[in-house]
Amino acid sequence: MPSSFFRAFVVLTLAFASYSCSEDSAPPAIDEFGRCADFNPLRQVFWGDTHVHTELSFDANMQGTRTTQDDAYAFARGEPIALQPYDEDGTPTRMAAIDRPLDFVMLSDHAEFLGTLKVCNDPGSPGYEEQQCVDYRAAQQFDAMPEFVRDVFVRINGLLNLPSEDAAYPALCGPGSAFCLDAGTDVWRGIVNAAQAAYDRSNSCTFTAFPGYEWSGNSDGRNLHRNVMFKDENVTDLPYGYFDAPYPEELWARLVGECIDADSGCDVLTIPHNSNLSDGVYFNDRMADGGLLTPEYVELRNAMEPVIEIYQHKGASECLPGAATADELCGFEILPFSNLATTNLERITPPDPKGFLRYAYGEGMRFESSLGTNPFQYGITAATDTHISAPGFVAENDFKGHGGAGQPNRFLPPPPGFPDVEYLSPGGLTAVWAEENARDAIFSALRRKETFGTSGPRMTVRMFGGWDYPSDLCDSAELVAQADAAGVPMGGTLDPQPASSAPVFVVSAMQDSTSAPLQRAQIVKGWLDGDDYQVRVFEIAGDPNNGASVNLDTCAREGEGFGDLCGVWQDPDFDPAQRAYYYARVLENPSCRWTTWQCSAAQYECNDWDYAACVARKDELPPSDFSCDCCDPATGLRPAFCAEVDCSDPGLLAEAEERCCHQVEPTIQERAWTSPIWYQPPS
Amino acid sequence: MLRPLVHFFLIGGLLFSAKAVYERNAVQGPAITVRVPVGASTAEVENKVREAILLNEARRYGWDRTDPIVYTHLIRNMRFIEPDSEDDDLTLFQRAIEMNMHAHDPVVRARLLYRAREALAFVPEERMPTRTELEEHLRTHSDRFEREQRVRFRHVFLSRSKRSETLAADAREMRDRLAELDDSAPSGLGDPLPNLRPEQSATPSELEDDYGAELAGLVQEGLIGAWRGPVSSVYGLHFIQVIDQEPAYVPPLDVIGAEVRADRLRELRKALAQERMAALRDAYRVTIERAP
Repeated sequence: MPSSFFRAFVVLTLAFASYSCSEDSAPPAIDEFGRCADFNPLRQVFWGDTHVHTELSFDANMQGTRTTQDDAYAFARGEPIALQPYDEDGTPTRMAAIDRPLDFVMLSDHAEFLGTLKVCNDPGSPGYEEQQCVDYRAAQQFDAMPEFVRDVFVRINGLLNLPSEDAAYPALCGPGSAFCLDAGTDVWRGIVNAAQAAYDRSNSCTFTAFPGYEWSGNSDGRNLHRNVMFKDENVTDLPYGYFDAPYPEELWARLVGECIDADSGCDVLTIPHNSNLSDGVYFNDRMADGGLLTPEYVELRNAMEPVIEIYQHKGASECLPGAATADELCGFEILPFSNLATTNLERITPPDPKGFLRYAYGEGMRFESSLGTNPFQYGITAATDTHISAPGFVAENDFKGHGGAGQPNRFLPPPPGFPDVEYLSPGGLTAVWAEENARDAIFSALRRKETFGTSGPRMTVRMFGGWDYPSDLCDSAELVAQADAAGVPMGGTLDPQPASSAPVFVVSAMQDSTSAPLQRAQIVKGWLDGDDYQVRVFEIAGDPNNGASVNLDTCAREGEGFGDLCGVWQDPDFDPAQRAYYYARVLENPSCRWTTWQCSAAQYECNDWDYAACVARKDELPPSDFSCDCCDPATGLRPAFCAEVDCSDPGLLAEAEERCCHQVEPTIQERAWTSPIWYQPPS
Repeated sequence: MLRPLVHFFLIGGLLFSAKAVYERNAVQGPAITVRVPVGASTAEVENKVREAILLNEARRYGWDRTDPIVYTHLIRNMRFIEPDSEDDDLTLFQRAIEMNMHAHDPVVRARLLYRAREALAFVPEERMPTRTELEEHLRTHSDRFEREQRVRFRHVFLSRSKRSETLAADAREMRDRLAELDDSAPSGLGDPLPNLRPEQSATPSELEDDYGAELAGLVQEGLIGAWRGPVSSVYGLHFIQVIDQEPAYVPPLDVIGAEVRADRLRELRKALAQERMAALRDAYRVTIERAP
């Protein structure tokens, strides 16, 4: 044994020597603001995805994702990626590629099981032989049964469902969770290094990578997830997940204490998402301890969470049809589920309007009135939440399933029909207005909320608000310079100006050059009237009745639209004493949803379609058979079948008819949502 | 907690790589017999052979007797089959070895294979890329790190949505106005777009993504000085004046060091693993036995 110790000592010394030596071989480059060849003080648009999972996420890993963070970065830059299912020799059976590179990415693997996966995959780990690890590895075997895999997944991932007071690492992590904490530290270091290597520090500034992770608490299935995004390589020692910080307040406190206030150059923000799956508790008026919100709490939340994900793979969180206001466009990609658990189980449960942004914006103004700060003053982002390491993979006509909560397609042969649950979708993108494609500039844009989200296409939208914009501002070639000089951009706050009658907003938009033309631009205004909040939608440019349509057999778009749109709009009902917010929503002409694209390309026959038979026999059909999915009324492709169905009480209907009551739209109107501009009356 | 184990891997890695090199130079390596199913394919046979070699190497270095994980695992096994034993850990471990438990246990096998594979890809200190090597890597693989050419240009846009029927006539008028401009910027001319600037620097790929191939092609032609156009896009018509061109280039190591180092290490790990495995494969004398 002494010789082993001697050898260990020698090599330990060598290992440290090699580490420091290797670091010296590639000195870190200086990342100065203004280094990029294309620097624009009036800012330019950059496209990114801030919600991406790779093999490091437990759920993605269990679904057969084998691709790494390096693979995800390569995909974002335009290289193809391998997708499951893998055959017995480990060869992938599918590939995917993005049509255009992204400008920036934050990979957001779930923090909670980063260490667990390493422990279970590393025979050198003391936790390797624990039963949970044994089961995990058994579930990873090529011939593992899907039911067994799901059982193992639920048993481990289910820890995220436990009440916050019971949140704890899996038993395999050992005393004090030391095995997983130690392993997680190593994985976290790898995540930061991967972002460092992917970040383009040349003055071409082709690609920006941010270190980050996802905090994934969902007590009782109520999603409270948020992504944690660091400005650069100055990060906390550990990625704090639900088991380390079971309450959002605790997460923020740790990030403030160990990053923002640590005098280390560290800066961080958190990005909430999927409030639609929170059972309506995401914007609660209570803190974790049950007490009412305090001025300190709302200030902390406002500071830590400048932006929110309005849309992603697991649905939109803008507004719920029928709630609060008549807005026919609220029906876009609404999941028929109320929380994460019911989503995973595909159990139809009506979503709660309190989980949507319209509610948050209204409540936020109320809290601002009473507590002095708006805790929900969110700018807008959107993302994929891909679980196949495919950032920015948003094409409706090439959807391969993201695996977040749906079908992993891990097993061979893959299930026939759709590659994902019909209610899920490819997700969206975040756009930021920043001076250059570099960390400082993009992070600052997120902080000041000069951002917008889209449902996928790269339609570009700019919005400014001011008091004295001329009505012909859209005719000026220098619109941006003029609007910027005399007002605030999206995400900003208009201060009162007594001499003016009402604020004026300008919205300028251009279509994605590879997607459908634009149909219209709107401004959504919300205001606080006493203790009540109201919402009204104004059409400001384009033509909502332009007659554009889609051929559902071929998915060919029909009708004219607009390459660009611009509108100047003054609030006709402005009351200077009322708090208000204004955001722009820009819509494309209709196009096929991914489900319709897949059915348009598939052969199927619905004459003898039987829902119960499909459920019972689906796995026996060949993978090319789309009849079970395409004939399902839930896809919205069988209007005749559903025409006479009365959905006033779906519980009384036969299963097939009931599916008519939870249809997705066969066509969608892709869209962009800008961050709001807020108005604050004199205090 | 795991840190000592990681360093223990490194010991193994260094020894293993040294031994692998030794094996390559040996006249005769160890002889092993590998049993495979009758119907095994060539690839399956080769996988089995490689696993057998790695296991044999691990055992040759005594990792099945000295590895701390194997040690704790075998003791746990022994305490399971002898729950009433009052022997100390070392005694139990020795008894497990005497029973040949370490030769057949699947966890020990997985552990040994894991260590062996880590060792195969281990980059020893003397092989860690130096600055000179990184510079050489950057030079020899410059295509991996090359940045696309950029063009600085001025841009005047006429919106199809806004001008509709007058677009063609407006374009003719604009062409004449631009021709009258000397070298000055076209201030105030044309229509706005949210991402349009009177002057910008962009790569041809970026322009193609934003405005389509026609505009990108015109800019890429790189005729400096003259106003050119109009060219059409989904948005309308565009006039372009190229001011300057910056050719494609490879950034220096000081700027993209992390990127180059990561690329070199990926390559090195893969190459070392292949090289060492090939050396072992050459050194071993393997007999294949096909069994039903």
